[in-house]
Amino acid sequence: MTTQTADMPAATLDLRIPRTRRWPTPLAPLVTGGSTHKDIVRAWLLAASLPAIWGVALFGPAALTLILVAIATAVGTEFFAAAIRGRTIIGGITHAALTGLLVALTLPATAAWYIAAAGSLVAIIAGKTIFGGFGHYLWHPALVGRVVVQLLFLNSLTLGMTQPTWPILSPDRVFVGDIRSTHPLEMSGYSGWSSLPKRTATDAVLMERPVQSLRRFSNGEIRPDINSTNQDVLRYEPLFRDVLPPWQDTILGCVPGGIGETCTLTLIVAGFYLIYRGYLRWQLPVVILAAAAIAAAIFPIESAPLPIGSALRNAESGGYDWFPIFTVENGRAVGVAYVLYHLTAGELMLGAFLLAGDMVATPMRARGQALFAAGVGVLTIFMRLYGVLECECYWSILIMNSLVRTIDARMKRPVLGMEPEAEPA
Amino acid sequence: MTILQNLLGSPRTFEGGLFLADHKSATARRPIETIHADPQGPGLFVPLAPRSDLPTRPIVSPGTHVLGGQCLAEAVGVDSIPIHAPTSGHIKGFSRVWSPVDGFLPCAVLMPDGRNDFITPATIWADESFVGQLAERGVFCSQPRMAAHTFILQAARAGVTELIVNAMETEPYLSSDLRTIVEEPGRIIDMIGEFADALGAHRAILALPNRHRRVVKRIQAEAAGRHIDIVSLTDKYPQCHPVLLVKSILDREVEPGQSVLDIGACVLPLQVVRAAAEAWLNDRPITHAQITVSGTAALHSGVYRVPIGTPISQLIDRVGTIARVEQVIWGGPLTGVALGRDDAVVTIDTTAILLMTGTSTHEPVPCIRCGWCVEDCPVGLDPSDLMQLEAEPSITAIEGLHLQACIDCGLCSHVCPAELPIAAVIKRRRNSMTTSALPVIDAAPAGPAAFPPKTVTAKERA
Repeated sequence: MTTQTADMPAATLDLRIPRTRRWPTPLAPLVTGGSTHKDIVRAWLLAASLPAIWGVALFGPAALTLILVAIATAVGTEFFAAAIRGRTIIGGITHAALTGLLVALTLPATAAWYIAAAGSLVAIIAGKTIFGGFGHYLWHPALVGRVVVQLLFLNSLTLGMTQPTWPILSPDRVFVGDIRSTHPLEMSGYSGWSSLPKRTATDAVLMERPVQSLRRFSNGEIRPDINSTNQDVLRYEPLFRDVLPPWQDTILGCVPGGIGETCTLTLIVAGFYLIYRGYLRWQLPVVILAAAAIAAAIFPIESAPLPIGSALRNAESGGYDWFPIFTVENGRAVGVAYVLYHLTAGELMLGAFLLAGDMVATPMRARGQALFAAGVGVLTIFMRLYGVLECECYWSILIMNSLVRTIDARMKRPVLGMEPEAEPA
Repeated sequence: MTILQNLLGSPRTFEGGLFLADHKSATARRPIETIHADPQGPGLFVPLAPRSDLPTRPIVSPGTHVLGGQCLAEAVGVDSIPIHAPTSGHIKGFSRVWSPVDGFLPCAVLMPDGRNDFITPATIWADESFVGQLAERGVFCSQPRMAAHTFILQAARAGVTELIVNAMETEPYLSSDLRTIVEEPGRIIDMIGEFADALGAHRAILALPNRHRRVVKRIQAEAAGRHIDIVSLTDKYPQCHPVLLVKSILDREVEPGQSVLDIGACVLPLQVVRAAAEAWLNDRPITHAQITVSGTAALHSGVYRVPIGTPISQLIDRVGTIARVEQVIWGGPLTGVALGRDDAVVTIDTTAILLMTGTSTHEPVPCIRCGWCVEDCPVGLDPSDLMQLEAEPSITAIEGLHLQACIDCGLCSHVCPAELPIAAVIKRRRNSMTTSALPVIDAAPAGPAAFPPKTVTAKERA
């Protein structure tokens, strides 16, 4: 019996297993989850195209032109920037197209084509490329582009508060009507978009944006009524009766505004699709809307002066209306209606479902995102009620984007087995 | 939350983790099948060391005829185990064989004669005790990767009070533990009692996934009156890891760099219990490995008892393929190793061989801050942050602790949409940290020199 140490085998190394195949040896883990960044951006693009289609229906070929110009400029700029830097496009042209599409969704259909092009250009260059591209930017690129064109073209008739009324196509002219042939609409007695008269000389009607009405209301510019029977002051009744369109119109999007801003329904469907795919955390839109609702419910609004000659004028003029949500007039809970209008009017829905949830510019953890979303919701309503800037939701998203790194640093998870005090401050 | 937990007890789970697609339907319902050595094949290349630092001394010479279960090499040192012939045949010679973890190991080449005669068990043993029998029959543990008797002695010396037998098996494809529980529940329960007695544990717990409700009920009936707790947990990956089992079952947290032994628990894989049942109840040495052979390219997926030393190429031919095999995984798909070559063999600590079509190709892009790795990390780390440490020459103590807390489950890379190799980077960085003299943690428990401290720390968490 030979005694042989194991680590020094005898010279019988010809006894080998025949080696026939070689396989690659990547590092563990050897199966991956399946969703890559390309899938994510594609899903976002698909989700964003839904309100875009609805916007083309409501605002006609002009909206389609704007969308195509914005996407083409964004993709072209991305190629140009990649060529200058001499490297391939990180994240692909899909992300550039998504950025361009989101810029177009925030613009009104009456904007000139060069405004969309400038917005996309700024979004790709100043919002994305100078930070190092996809994955590195601090602020949402599309919103950077949007607020920059807002400031650049402030005096243009198409943007800003200089134009009180904005157009929307009549129901019989959807998809094909010319958004620039307009006539103004008398809002008192208006019973909704679907009941607009057919076969008029113009394709579109002009009316005030609901968010603009709410802003005027919060500044005390809408005159209250005096109920002649019991001498009650009706502050909210004139707003709903004479200024705002019906609430279901703001749900369906049949109100003037940005191309993708108006239709709450398509935005909710797009958001649900992203949540279902797992690319948007449900906490983010839910908390944005909840925070905005709470803020609208409790933030005071300026009381409008009563009509001259009213007996109540001296007793009630000036000051603020506190807790608007609890207001009841003529036995109707008008405060609740006021809060619901705040949620569906303007760009809040687009911001909550398609703009705030950009992965790169939001906190990592779900609870960090909830904090971020609460900030967005409250700031939006705050700026809408008391601020002077247009696009208040976009500004508040950008403000909260700047705080993302701070939120992330404060929202670390406790490491298993480590005392929380051992964590760095 | 705390009030709720005081009322209802701890939630018996952990934060993070992910429910993976388990791909077990092909293997979970097939009975365990024994593969016999093929006399026409190239033979069995039986590794003569279970681990590269556990040497043995061969006691047979080339040309001798051996019976199945006959000792081929005896253990050198107290930590090693003897190697036995898986079947009857003659020894052709000695060679070396490649193993994915240890590199080249010495091996004995056994040409099976096809009769599969087994030796009659010896009646006189050097050590009649339970632990001594584990050593003499060559029971080996795959996690931690050491001889079973060494692990039991180590755990007994650490003074463990709880024994947890780990049948969770939350990785995709693996079904070996489930089949064991289904086919031999009584023997498993008997052996858990033996192990608990050997350890002097106050409490013996069998942890298994609660989605197999009938299996849980069956084993509960089997364990009635035996003072063995059956704990069924969700099969959220990586619940199978010892650190998280202790967290879920005992609500104790293991400090980074320590092992579960340090907090008074011993987590045994079910494979060891099964092997010990074979050794102790059947009175046979360990000659076969019970492994899951599955994967997208495997034809007859299932749980097999394979003679130790069977070449992988033979195993693939025996199981059959339905597509071109482009990647072979040794172990589970998330924690396993990619086999680069088919001249490896089935070793004593093999748990699974997965034959995959498609290989995972990575084209990493910068982190897109999706936060999925942060939400899914079972120990609460920020993997995307730790990934930045790769380029850093020095790291702070807190970062070192974070690296040590990683349990290598691989979820961060698994979910990463930017396809970053996060898990591999963290592992590499931690290994370089422990080899360089960074005195971050002193986790080596005091013990006799016969049990080197590295077997407690590095192997336990590996």
